[in-house]
Amino acid sequence: MGPWAQIMLVIILIYLTAGTPVWAALGQAKASVEKDRAAMGGQVQSKLAPGYSVETITVAGMSIKEYVSSDGTIFAVAWRGTGAPNLRLLLGAYFDEYLDALTELQNKKPRIRRPLMLKTENLVVERSGHARNMWGRAFIPSHLPAMVSPKDIQ
Amino acid sequence: MPYRAVVIACLWLVSACGSGGGGNEGAGSHSPNVLTVTGGASGVCANVNQLCTQVTICQPGTSACQTISDILVDTGSIGVRIFGSVLSIPLQQEVESPGQIIGECVSFADGSALWGAVQLADVVLAGEPAVTVPIHVIAPTFAGQSISHNPCNSVVDSDPRKAGFNGILGIGLFTHDCGITCELNDNNTFYFSCAASTCGSIAAPLSTQVQNPVWLLPSDKNGVILTLPNVPATGAPVLSGSVTLGIGTAPNNSPPPGISTFTTDPSGSLTTVYKGTTAQSVIDTGSNGYFFPDSTLPLCPMPDQDFYCPLATANLSATLFGVNARQATVPFQVANAANLLTGNAVFNNLGGPSPFLSSSPTFDWGLPFFLGRVVFVGIEGQPSTLGTGPFYAF
Repeated sequence: MGPWAQIMLVIILIYLTAGTPVWAALGQAKASVEKDRAAMGGQVQSKLAPGYSVETITVAGMSIKEYVSSDGTIFAVAWRGTGAPNLRLLLGAYFDEYLDALTELQNKKPRIRRPLMLKTENLVVERSGHARNMWGRAFIPSHLPAMVSPKDIQ
Repeated sequence: MPYRAVVIACLWLVSACGSGGGGNEGAGSHSPNVLTVTGGASGVCANVNQLCTQVTICQPGTSACQTISDILVDTGSIGVRIFGSVLSIPLQQEVESPGQIIGECVSFADGSALWGAVQLADVVLAGEPAVTVPIHVIAPTFAGQSISHNPCNSVVDSDPRKAGFNGILGIGLFTHDCGITCELNDNNTFYFSCAASTCGSIAAPLSTQVQNPVWLLPSDKNGVILTLPNVPATGAPVLSGSVTLGIGTAPNNSPPPGISTFTTDPSGSLTTVYKGTTAQSVIDTGSNGYFFPDSTLPLCPMPDQDFYCPLATANLSATLFGVNARQATVPFQVANAANLLTGNAVFNNLGGPSPFLSSSPTFDWGLPFFLGRVVFVGIEGQPSTLGTGPFYAF
Protein backbone atom coordinates (compact mmCIF):
# COMPACT_ATOMS: atom_id res chain seq x y z
CA MET A 1 0.00 0.00 0.00
CA GLY A 2 1.44 3.37 -1.02
CA PRO A 3 1.64 6.35 1.33
CA TRP A 4 -1.31 8.02 -0.39
CA ALA A 5 -3.51 4.96 0.22
CA GLN A 6 -2.34 4.83 3.85
CA ILE A 7 -3.33 8.48 4.36
CA MET A 8 -6.72 7.80 2.77
CA LEU A 9 -7.20 4.77 5.07
CA VAL A 10 -6.38 6.87 8.16
CA ILE A 11 -8.82 9.56 7.06
CA ILE A 12 -11.55 6.96 6.53
CA LEU A 13 -10.83 5.41 9.95
CA ILE A 14 -10.98 8.81 11.69
CA TYR A 15 -14.25 9.52 9.91
CA LEU A 16 -15.76 6.20 10.94
CA THR A 17 -14.59 6.45 14.56
CA ALA A 18 -15.84 10.00 15.01
CA GLY A 19 -19.37 8.98 14.14
CA THR A 20 -19.62 5.98 16.47
CA PRO A 21 -20.77 6.15 20.10
CA VAL A 22 -18.08 6.52 22.76
CA TRP A 23 -16.57 3.08 23.35
CA ALA A 24 -16.43 2.67 27.07
CA ALA A 25 -14.15 1.54 29.77
CA LEU A 26 -14.41 -1.83 31.49
CA GLY A 27 -12.31 -4.44 29.70
CA GLN A 28 -11.05 -1.83 27.24
CA ALA A 29 -7.75 -0.03 26.86
CA LYS A 30 -6.68 2.85 29.06
CA ALA A 31 -7.33 5.28 26.22
CA SER A 32 -11.06 4.91 26.83
CA VAL A 33 -10.67 6.73 30.16
CA GLU A 34 -10.09 9.91 28.17
CA LYS A 35 -13.20 9.21 26.10
CA ASP A 36 -15.25 8.76 29.29
CA ARG A 37 -13.82 11.95 30.72
CA ALA A 38 -14.63 13.90 27.57
CA ALA A 39 -18.14 12.41 27.33
CA MET A 40 -18.88 13.30 30.95
CA GLY A 41 -17.13 16.68 30.79
CA GLY A 42 -14.90 15.96 33.80
CA GLN A 43 -11.28 16.17 34.91
CA VAL A 44 -8.92 13.23 35.29
CA GLN A 45 -6.10 12.50 37.74
CA SER A 46 -3.75 9.54 37.64
CA LYS A 47 -2.31 7.64 40.61
CA LEU A 48 0.09 4.69 40.56
CA ALA A 49 -0.30 1.60 42.77
CA PRO A 50 1.76 -1.64 42.73
CA GLY A 51 0.79 -3.48 39.54
CA TYR A 52 -1.88 -1.01 38.39
CA SER A 53 -2.87 2.62 38.16
CA VAL A 54 -6.06 4.46 39.13
CA GLU A 55 -7.48 7.14 36.84
CA THR A 56 -9.92 9.33 38.76
CA ILE A 57 -12.49 11.33 36.81
CA THR A 58 -14.14 14.14 38.78
CA VAL A 59 -17.42 15.35 37.35
CA ALA A 60 -20.63 17.02 38.57
CA GLY A 61 -20.59 15.97 42.21
CA MET A 62 -19.18 12.55 41.39
CA SER A 63 -15.83 10.81 41.56
CA ILE A 64 -15.24 7.88 39.19
CA LYS A 65 -12.16 5.67 39.46
CA GLU A 66 -11.00 3.46 36.62
CA TYR A 67 -8.45 0.78 37.53
CA VAL A 68 -5.88 0.04 34.83
CA SER A 69 -3.60 -3.03 34.92
CA SER A 70 0.04 -2.81 33.83
CA ASP A 71 -0.93 -4.23 30.40
CA GLY A 72 -3.20 -1.22 29.92
CA THR A 73 -6.59 -2.90 30.41
CA ILE A 74 -9.30 -1.42 32.62
CA PHE A 75 -10.29 -4.18 35.05
CA ALA A 76 -12.49 -2.25 37.50
CA VAL A 77 -14.44 0.95 37.99
CA ALA A 78 -15.66 2.49 41.25
CA TRP A 79 -17.79 5.56 41.84
CA ARG A 80 -19.20 7.80 44.56
CA GLY A 81 -21.34 10.89 44.34
CA THR A 82 -24.69 12.63 44.48
CA GLY A 83 -26.25 10.28 41.93
CA ALA A 84 -25.37 7.34 39.72
CA PRO A 85 -22.85 7.48 36.86
CA ASN A 86 -23.55 6.49 33.26
CA LEU A 87 -22.97 2.75 33.56
CA ARG A 88 -23.53 2.19 29.84
CA LEU A 89 -20.38 4.22 29.37
CA LEU A 90 -18.37 2.70 32.24
CA LEU A 91 -19.29 -0.97 31.71
CA GLY A 92 -18.91 -0.88 27.94
CA ALA A 93 -19.12 -4.34 26.41
CA TYR A 94 -20.23 -5.74 29.78
CA PHE A 95 -23.22 -3.38 30.09
CA ASP A 96 -25.74 -5.74 28.46
CA GLU A 97 -24.63 -8.58 30.73
CA TYR A 98 -25.22 -6.27 33.72
CA LEU A 99 -28.62 -5.16 32.42
CA ASP A 100 -29.78 -8.74 31.83
CA ALA A 101 -28.83 -9.75 35.38
CA LEU A 102 -30.44 -6.63 36.84
CA THR A 103 -33.66 -7.29 34.92
CA GLU A 104 -33.74 -10.89 36.17
CA LEU A 105 -33.22 -9.67 39.75
CA GLN A 106 -36.02 -7.13 39.45
CA ASN A 107 -38.40 -9.83 38.21
CA LYS A 108 -37.94 -11.84 41.40
CA LYS A 109 -40.82 -12.04 43.90
CA PRO A 110 -40.74 -10.61 46.48
CA ARG A 111 -38.68 -7.80 45.03
CA ILE A 112 -36.29 -6.88 47.82
CA ARG A 113 -35.00 -3.31 48.07
CA ARG A 114 -31.48 -3.45 49.39
CA PRO A 115 -27.92 -2.61 48.39
CA LEU A 116 -27.14 -4.34 45.09
CA MET A 117 -24.80 -7.34 44.97
CA LEU A 118 -24.77 -8.77 41.47
CA LYS A 119 -22.52 -11.54 40.17
CA THR A 120 -22.74 -12.60 36.56
CA GLU A 121 -20.62 -14.97 34.49
CA ASN A 122 -17.93 -12.33 33.89
CA LEU A 123 -18.76 -9.44 36.15
CA VAL A 124 -19.34 -8.27 39.73
CA VAL A 125 -21.42 -5.12 40.31
CA GLU A 126 -22.13 -3.72 43.77
CA ARG A 127 -24.08 -0.57 44.59
CA SER A 128 -25.20 1.14 47.76
CA GLY A 129 -26.19 4.47 49.26
CA HIS A 130 -29.11 6.82 49.62
CA ALA A 131 -30.25 10.26 48.42
CA ARG A 132 -27.18 12.52 47.96
CA ASN A 133 -24.64 9.75 48.52
CA MET A 134 -24.51 6.81 46.13
CA TRP A 135 -21.53 4.57 45.64
CA GLY A 136 -20.60 1.37 43.89
CA ARG A 137 -18.11 -0.60 41.88
CA ALA A 138 -17.87 -3.06 39.02
CA PHE A 139 -15.01 -5.38 38.16
CA ILE A 140 -14.07 -8.33 36.00
CA PRO A 141 -12.77 -10.99 38.45
CA SER A 142 -10.83 -12.82 35.71
CA HIS A 143 -8.99 -9.60 34.77
CA LEU A 144 -7.76 -8.68 38.27
CA PRO A 145 -3.95 -8.39 38.26
CA ALA A 146 -2.19 -11.00 40.42
CA MET A 147 -1.42 -8.60 43.26
CA VAL A 148 -4.90 -7.03 43.38
CA SER A 149 -7.79 -8.22 45.50
CA PRO A 150 -11.39 -7.00 45.31
CA LYS A 151 -10.91 -5.01 48.51
CA ASP A 152 -8.43 -2.77 46.66
CA ILE A 153 -11.29 -1.53 44.48
CA GLN A 154 -13.03 1.09 46.55
CA MET B 1 -23.64 9.42 23.61
CA PRO B 2 -22.38 12.84 24.68
CA TYR B 3 -25.29 14.84 26.02
CA ARG B 4 -25.82 18.29 24.64
CA ALA B 5 -25.18 20.72 27.42
CA VAL B 6 -27.82 23.37 27.79
CA VAL B 7 -27.29 26.33 30.05
CA ILE B 8 -30.36 27.74 31.72
CA ALA B 9 -30.69 31.40 30.88
CA CYS B 10 -33.96 32.09 32.55
CA LEU B 11 -35.27 31.87 36.05
CA TRP B 12 -38.31 29.79 36.82
CA LEU B 13 -40.57 31.16 39.46
CA VAL B 14 -42.50 28.44 41.18
CA SER B 15 -44.84 29.51 43.91
CA ALA B 16 -43.28 28.01 46.99
CA CYS B 17 -46.21 26.94 49.05
CA GLY B 18 -49.63 27.60 50.43
CA SER B 19 -51.52 28.07 47.20
CA GLY B 20 -55.01 26.70 47.47
CA GLY B 21 -56.48 23.52 46.16
CA GLY B 22 -57.16 20.30 47.92
CA GLY B 23 -58.28 20.77 51.46
CA ASN B 24 -58.35 17.01 51.78
CA GLU B 25 -58.83 15.70 55.29
CA GLY B 26 -56.24 12.95 54.93
CA ALA B 27 -57.76 9.51 54.85
CA GLY B 28 -57.90 7.73 58.15
CA SER B 29 -56.13 10.31 60.29
CA HIS B 30 -57.75 12.66 62.76
CA SER B 31 -54.91 15.14 63.28
CA PRO B 32 -54.14 17.31 60.27
CA ASN B 33 -50.42 16.51 60.53
CA VAL B 34 -50.61 12.71 60.84
CA LEU B 35 -50.35 10.30 57.92
CA THR B 36 -51.48 6.74 58.49
CA VAL B 37 -48.91 4.24 57.23
CA THR B 38 -49.30 0.50 56.79
CA GLY B 39 -47.18 -2.53 56.09
CA GLY B 40 -48.18 -5.91 54.77
CA ALA B 41 -51.30 -4.55 53.14
CA SER B 42 -52.39 -6.42 50.07
CA GLY B 43 -52.53 -4.79 46.67
CA VAL B 44 -49.69 -3.09 44.90
CA CYS B 45 -47.65 -2.42 48.04
CA ALA B 46 -47.23 -6.08 48.93
CA ASN B 47 -43.54 -6.74 49.55
CA VAL B 48 -42.11 -7.76 52.91
CA ASN B 49 -41.16 -4.95 55.31
CA GLN B 50 -42.57 -2.32 53.01
CA LEU B 51 -44.27 0.78 54.44
CA CYS B 52 -46.92 2.58 52.40
CA THR B 53 -49.38 5.45 52.68
CA GLN B 54 -51.59 7.57 50.47
CA VAL B 55 -51.20 11.09 49.17
CA THR B 56 -53.53 13.45 47.35
CA ILE B 57 -52.32 15.05 44.12
CA CYS B 58 -54.15 18.04 42.64
CA GLN B 59 -53.89 20.05 39.48
CA PRO B 60 -52.11 23.19 40.77
CA GLY B 61 -54.47 25.82 42.11
CA THR B 62 -57.60 23.81 41.41
CA SER B 63 -59.82 21.36 43.24
CA ALA B 64 -59.19 18.67 40.61
CA CYS B 65 -57.62 16.13 42.95
CA GLN B 66 -56.87 12.45 43.12
CA THR B 67 -55.98 10.40 46.19
CA ILE B 68 -53.44 7.71 45.37
CA SER B 69 -52.78 4.73 47.63
CA ASP B 70 -49.83 2.32 47.78
CA ILE B 71 -47.25 5.09 48.03
CA LEU B 72 -43.93 3.84 49.42
CA VAL B 73 -42.82 5.81 52.49
CA ASP B 74 -39.10 6.30 51.99
CA THR B 75 -36.73 8.09 54.36
CA GLY B 76 -33.84 7.19 52.02
CA SER B 77 -34.99 9.38 49.11
CA ILE B 78 -36.40 12.84 48.49
CA GLY B 79 -39.58 13.91 46.72
CA VAL B 80 -42.93 12.70 45.44
CA ARG B 81 -42.84 10.28 42.49
CA ILE B 82 -46.04 8.87 40.98
CA PHE B 83 -46.45 6.45 38.09
CA GLY B 84 -48.08 8.40 35.26
CA SER B 85 -50.19 5.32 34.54
CA VAL B 86 -52.13 5.78 37.81
CA LEU B 87 -52.57 9.57 37.47
CA SER B 88 -55.89 10.66 36.03
CA ILE B 89 -55.53 14.43 36.42
CA PRO B 90 -53.38 16.60 34.19
CA LEU B 91 -50.45 18.36 35.85
CA GLN B 92 -48.29 21.22 34.65
CA GLN B 93 -45.18 20.10 32.71
CA GLU B 94 -41.97 21.92 33.69
CA VAL B 95 -40.13 23.31 30.68
CA GLU B 96 -36.66 24.69 30.18
CA SER B 97 -37.87 26.87 27.33
CA PRO B 98 -40.86 26.57 25.00
CA GLY B 99 -40.85 23.06 23.53
CA GLN B 100 -38.02 21.88 25.78
CA ILE B 101 -39.70 19.67 28.38
CA ILE B 102 -37.89 18.63 31.56
CA GLY B 103 -37.48 14.99 32.54
CA GLU B 104 -35.68 13.32 35.39
CA CYS B 105 -33.82 10.12 36.04
CA VAL B 106 -33.40 8.92 39.61
CA SER B 107 -31.35 5.89 40.64
CA PHE B 108 -31.56 3.83 43.80
CA ALA B 109 -29.10 1.69 45.75
CA ASP B 110 -30.76 -1.52 44.52
CA GLY B 111 -29.76 -0.62 40.96
CA SER B 112 -33.30 0.34 39.94
CA ALA B 113 -34.03 3.62 38.20
CA LEU B 114 -37.07 5.74 37.37
CA TRP B 115 -37.49 7.95 34.31
CA GLY B 116 -40.28 10.43 33.72
CA ALA B 117 -41.52 13.99 33.55
CA VAL B 118 -41.00 16.75 36.08
CA GLN B 119 -44.43 18.31 36.60
CA LEU B 120 -45.85 20.87 38.99
CA ALA B 121 -48.56 19.56 41.32
CA ASP B 122 -50.38 20.48 44.49
CA VAL B 123 -49.56 17.78 47.03
CA VAL B 124 -51.76 17.23 50.07
CA LEU B 125 -50.26 15.32 53.01
CA ALA B 126 -52.83 14.23 55.63
CA GLY B 127 -54.94 17.31 56.47
CA GLU B 128 -52.19 19.86 55.82
CA PRO B 129 -52.68 22.71 53.34
CA ALA B 130 -51.68 21.77 49.79
CA VAL B 131 -48.12 22.57 48.76
CA THR B 132 -47.25 23.38 45.16
CA VAL B 133 -44.14 21.40 44.24
CA PRO B 134 -42.44 19.76 41.25
CA ILE B 135 -43.03 16.00 41.34
CA HIS B 136 -41.67 13.12 39.25
CA VAL B 137 -44.31 11.59 36.99
CA ILE B 138 -42.80 8.18 36.26
CA ALA B 139 -43.20 7.13 32.61
CA PRO B 140 -40.62 5.08 30.66
CA THR B 141 -41.95 6.44 27.37
CA PHE B 142 -41.81 10.10 28.41
CA ALA B 143 -40.19 12.23 25.69
CA GLY B 144 -39.92 9.34 23.26
CA GLN B 145 -37.74 7.17 25.52
CA SER B 146 -38.18 3.48 26.40
CA ILE B 147 -37.65 0.96 29.20
CA SER B 148 -34.15 0.04 28.07
CA HIS B 149 -33.13 3.18 26.15
CA ASN B 150 -33.40 6.33 28.22
CA PRO B 151 -31.18 8.90 29.93
CA CYS B 152 -30.90 6.65 33.02
CA ASN B 153 -28.75 4.26 30.99
CA SER B 154 -30.46 1.42 32.82
CA VAL B 155 -33.68 -0.54 32.75
CA VAL B 156 -36.37 1.64 34.30
CA ASP B 157 -39.51 0.57 36.11
CA SER B 158 -42.71 0.69 34.07
CA ASP B 159 -45.25 -1.26 36.09
CA PRO B 160 -46.51 -0.31 39.58
CA ARG B 161 -47.22 -3.97 40.40
CA LYS B 162 -43.71 -5.01 39.48
CA ALA B 163 -42.18 -2.05 41.30
CA GLY B 164 -44.38 -2.71 44.32
CA PHE B 165 -45.73 0.84 44.59
CA ASN B 166 -47.89 3.40 42.79
CA GLY B 167 -45.41 6.04 43.82
CA ILE B 168 -42.84 7.11 46.40
CA LEU B 169 -43.13 9.67 49.18
CA GLY B 170 -39.47 10.54 49.75
CA ILE B 171 -39.32 12.27 53.13
CA GLY B 172 -35.62 11.96 53.94
CA LEU B 173 -33.08 14.45 55.23
CA PHE B 174 -33.04 16.95 52.36
CA THR B 175 -35.24 19.63 50.81
CA HIS B 176 -34.35 18.88 47.15
CA ASP B 177 -33.60 15.51 45.56
CA CYS B 178 -30.33 16.58 43.97
CA GLY B 179 -29.64 20.06 45.31
CA ILE B 180 -26.81 22.39 44.43
CA THR B 181 -24.95 19.74 42.36
CA CYS B 182 -27.72 19.81 39.77
CA GLU B 183 -28.13 23.56 39.99
CA LEU B 184 -24.46 24.16 39.17
CA ASN B 185 -23.63 21.32 36.75
CA ASP B 186 -25.24 20.89 33.35
CA ASN B 187 -23.64 17.44 33.08
CA ASN B 188 -25.41 15.94 36.11
CA THR B 189 -27.18 12.59 35.66
CA PHE B 190 -30.57 13.68 37.11
CA TYR B 191 -32.17 16.41 34.99
CA PHE B 192 -32.71 16.47 31.22
CA SER B 193 -34.31 18.74 28.70
CA CYS B 194 -36.05 16.93 25.87
CA ALA B 195 -37.40 17.80 22.45
CA ALA B 196 -38.44 15.37 19.73
CA SER B 197 -37.11 12.25 21.51
CA THR B 198 -33.71 13.83 22.13
CA CYS B 199 -32.79 14.49 25.73
CA GLY B 200 -29.72 16.35 27.00
CA SER B 201 -28.63 16.87 30.59
CA ILE B 202 -29.25 20.34 32.01
CA ALA B 203 -28.51 22.33 35.11
CA ALA B 204 -31.79 22.52 37.04
CA PRO B 205 -32.48 25.44 39.36
CA LEU B 206 -33.56 24.39 42.84
CA SER B 207 -37.09 25.66 42.16
CA THR B 208 -37.48 23.16 39.29
CA GLN B 209 -36.10 20.19 41.22
CA VAL B 210 -38.25 17.45 42.73
CA GLN B 211 -38.61 18.30 46.41
CA ASN B 212 -39.51 16.92 49.80
CA PRO B 213 -43.08 18.24 50.20
CA VAL B 214 -42.67 18.42 53.98
CA TRP B 215 -40.26 21.36 53.89
CA LEU B 216 -42.86 23.41 51.96
CA LEU B 217 -45.55 23.02 54.64
CA PRO B 218 -46.51 26.29 56.33
CA SER B 219 -45.57 25.24 59.88
CA ASP B 220 -44.85 21.49 60.20
CA LYS B 221 -41.89 21.80 57.85
CA ASN B 222 -38.78 20.86 59.82
CA GLY B 223 -39.05 17.07 59.66
CA VAL B 224 -41.13 13.98 60.31
CA ILE B 225 -41.65 11.45 63.07
CA LEU B 226 -42.12 7.76 62.29
CA THR B 227 -44.00 5.82 64.96
CA LEU B 228 -44.35 2.11 64.34
CA PRO B 229 -45.29 -0.68 66.76
CA ASN B 230 -43.10 -3.71 67.28
CA VAL B 231 -44.01 -7.17 65.98
CA PRO B 232 -43.47 -10.70 67.42
CA ALA B 233 -40.26 -12.58 66.64
CA THR B 234 -42.13 -14.65 64.07
CA GLY B 235 -43.40 -11.51 62.34
CA ALA B 236 -46.83 -10.09 61.74
CA PRO B 237 -49.17 -10.15 58.73
CA VAL B 238 -49.81 -6.39 58.84
CA LEU B 239 -48.53 -3.22 60.47
CA SER B 240 -50.19 0.09 61.17
CA GLY B 241 -48.41 3.22 62.34
CA SER B 242 -48.00 6.89 61.61
CA VAL B 243 -45.84 9.57 60.09
CA THR B 244 -46.31 12.82 62.01
CA LEU B 245 -45.33 15.98 60.16
CA GLY B 246 -43.22 18.54 62.03
CA ILE B 247 -40.97 18.24 65.07
CA GLY B 248 -42.03 20.33 68.07
CA THR B 249 -44.33 22.47 65.94
CA ALA B 250 -47.67 21.24 67.33
CA PRO B 251 -48.97 19.69 70.56
CA ASN B 252 -48.79 16.19 69.04
CA ASN B 253 -45.20 16.30 67.80
CA SER B 254 -43.13 17.47 70.77
CA PRO B 255 -40.20 15.10 71.36
CA PRO B 256 -40.32 13.45 74.79
CA PRO B 257 -37.28 13.72 77.07
CA GLY B 258 -34.43 11.29 76.39
CA ILE B 259 -34.37 11.51 72.60
CA SER B 260 -30.82 11.63 71.19
CA THR B 261 -30.00 13.53 67.98
CA PHE B 262 -27.55 12.01 65.48
CA THR B 263 -26.49 14.65 62.98
CA THR B 264 -25.46 13.21 59.61
CA ASP B 265 -22.63 14.37 57.38
CA PRO B 266 -23.60 16.82 54.60
CA SER B 267 -24.44 13.91 52.29
CA GLY B 268 -26.82 12.30 54.79
CA SER B 269 -24.63 9.47 56.05
CA LEU B 270 -24.05 8.29 59.61
CA THR B 271 -21.30 5.98 60.79
CA THR B 272 -21.95 2.52 62.23
CA VAL B 273 -19.29 0.42 63.91
CA TYR B 274 -20.11 -3.28 63.71
CA LYS B 275 -17.73 -5.96 65.03
CA GLY B 276 -14.86 -3.47 64.84
CA THR B 277 -15.53 -2.39 61.25
CA THR B 278 -16.61 1.16 60.49
CA ALA B 279 -19.38 1.44 57.91
CA GLN B 280 -21.30 4.24 56.23
CA SER B 281 -24.90 4.13 57.28
CA VAL B 282 -28.40 5.18 56.42
CA ILE B 283 -31.62 4.76 58.40
CA ASP B 284 -34.04 3.93 55.63
CA THR B 285 -37.69 2.84 55.70
CA GLY B 286 -37.30 1.98 51.99
CA SER B 287 -34.86 -0.89 52.69
CA ASN B 288 -36.61 -4.15 53.52
CA GLY B 289 -34.16 -5.37 56.18
CA TYR B 290 -30.93 -4.77 58.04
CA PHE B 291 -28.22 -5.03 55.40
CA PHE B 292 -24.63 -5.29 56.62
CA PRO B 293 -21.54 -7.37 55.90
CA ASP B 294 -20.86 -10.31 58.22
CA SER B 295 -19.04 -13.32 56.78
CA THR B 296 -19.92 -15.42 59.87
CA LEU B 297 -23.65 -15.35 59.08
CA PRO B 298 -24.68 -17.95 56.46
CA LEU B 299 -26.63 -16.74 53.44
CA CYS B 300 -29.95 -18.36 52.68
CA PRO B 301 -29.84 -21.21 50.14
CA MET B 302 -29.70 -20.24 46.46
CA PRO B 303 -31.39 -18.46 44.82
CA ASP B 304 -32.60 -16.36 47.78
CA GLN B 305 -29.30 -14.90 48.87
CA ASP B 306 -30.80 -11.51 49.68
CA PHE B 307 -30.96 -12.57 53.33
CA TYR B 308 -29.06 -14.34 56.10
CA CYS B 309 -30.21 -17.73 57.30
CA PRO B 310 -28.44 -18.43 60.61
CA LEU B 311 -29.36 -21.77 62.23
CA ALA B 312 -30.29 -19.97 65.45
CA THR B 313 -31.37 -16.34 65.77
CA ALA B 314 -28.26 -14.17 66.08
CA ASN B 315 -28.22 -11.58 68.88
CA LEU B 316 -26.12 -8.72 67.55
CA SER B 317 -25.36 -5.09 68.24
CA ALA B 318 -23.79 -2.15 66.46
CA THR B 319 -22.91 1.38 67.49
CA LEU B 320 -24.29 4.36 65.58
CA PHE B 321 -22.33 7.63 65.52
CA GLY B 322 -23.50 11.06 64.44
CA VAL B 323 -21.04 13.69 63.25
CA ASN B 324 -22.03 15.53 66.46
CA ALA B 325 -20.13 12.77 68.33
CA ARG B 326 -23.38 11.37 69.74
CA GLN B 327 -23.34 7.58 69.84
CA ALA B 328 -25.73 4.77 70.69
CA THR B 329 -25.31 1.03 70.83
CA VAL B 330 -28.26 -0.60 69.13
CA PRO B 331 -29.03 -4.27 69.82
CA PHE B 332 -30.76 -6.17 67.03
CA GLN B 333 -31.55 -9.70 65.97
CA VAL B 334 -31.22 -11.59 62.73
CA ALA B 335 -33.37 -14.72 62.42
CA ASN B 336 -33.38 -17.39 59.73
CA ALA B 337 -35.08 -15.64 56.80
CA ALA B 338 -36.17 -18.89 55.17
CA ASN B 339 -38.11 -19.75 58.34
CA LEU B 340 -39.56 -16.22 58.59
CA LEU B 341 -40.75 -15.78 55.03
CA THR B 342 -43.57 -18.29 55.14
CA GLY B 343 -46.65 -16.07 55.24
CA ASN B 344 -46.10 -13.03 57.45
CA ALA B 345 -45.05 -9.72 55.91
CA VAL B 346 -43.49 -7.59 58.67
CA PHE B 347 -40.39 -8.65 60.58
CA ASN B 348 -38.05 -7.00 63.09
CA ASN B 349 -35.30 -9.56 62.56
CA LEU B 350 -34.81 -9.81 58.80
CA GLY B 351 -31.20 -9.20 57.78
CA GLY B 352 -28.97 -9.71 54.78
CA PRO B 353 -25.53 -8.98 53.37
CA SER B 354 -24.33 -5.72 51.88
CA PRO B 355 -21.36 -4.92 49.67
CA PHE B 356 -18.08 -4.82 51.56
CA LEU B 357 -15.85 -2.17 50.09
CA SER B 358 -12.93 -1.69 52.41
CA SER B 359 -13.18 2.09 52.40
CA SER B 360 -16.95 2.17 52.52
CA PRO B 361 -18.81 -0.90 53.72
CA THR B 362 -22.52 -0.25 54.09
CA PHE B 363 -24.65 -0.69 57.19
CA ASP B 364 -28.22 -0.14 56.06
CA TRP B 365 -30.66 0.19 58.97
CA GLY B 366 -33.83 -0.66 57.10
CA LEU B 367 -37.46 -0.94 58.18
CA PRO B 368 -36.81 -3.38 61.10
CA PHE B 369 -34.97 -0.54 62.88
CA PHE B 370 -38.20 1.50 63.00
CA LEU B 371 -40.35 -1.23 64.57
CA GLY B 372 -41.05 -0.48 68.23
CA ARG B 373 -39.33 2.91 67.95
CA VAL B 374 -40.17 6.54 67.48
CA VAL B 375 -37.68 7.92 64.92
CA PHE B 376 -37.30 11.62 64.08
CA VAL B 377 -35.96 12.73 60.69
CA GLY B 378 -34.77 16.38 60.70
CA ILE B 379 -34.58 18.16 57.34
CA GLU B 380 -31.40 20.01 56.33
CA GLY B 381 -31.20 23.61 57.47
CA GLN B 382 -34.46 23.42 59.42
CA PRO B 383 -34.24 24.21 63.14
CA SER B 384 -36.21 22.14 65.63
CA THR B 385 -36.25 21.40 69.34
CA LEU B 386 -33.93 18.45 68.53
CA GLY B 387 -31.41 20.57 66.62
CA THR B 388 -30.95 21.63 63.00
CA GLY B 389 -31.11 19.01 60.23
CA PRO B 390 -29.89 16.89 58.62
CA PHE B 391 -30.31 14.49 61.54
CA TYR B 392 -31.97 11.32 62.73
CA ALA B 393 -33.08 11.16 66.36
CA PHE B 394 -34.47 8.35 68.47
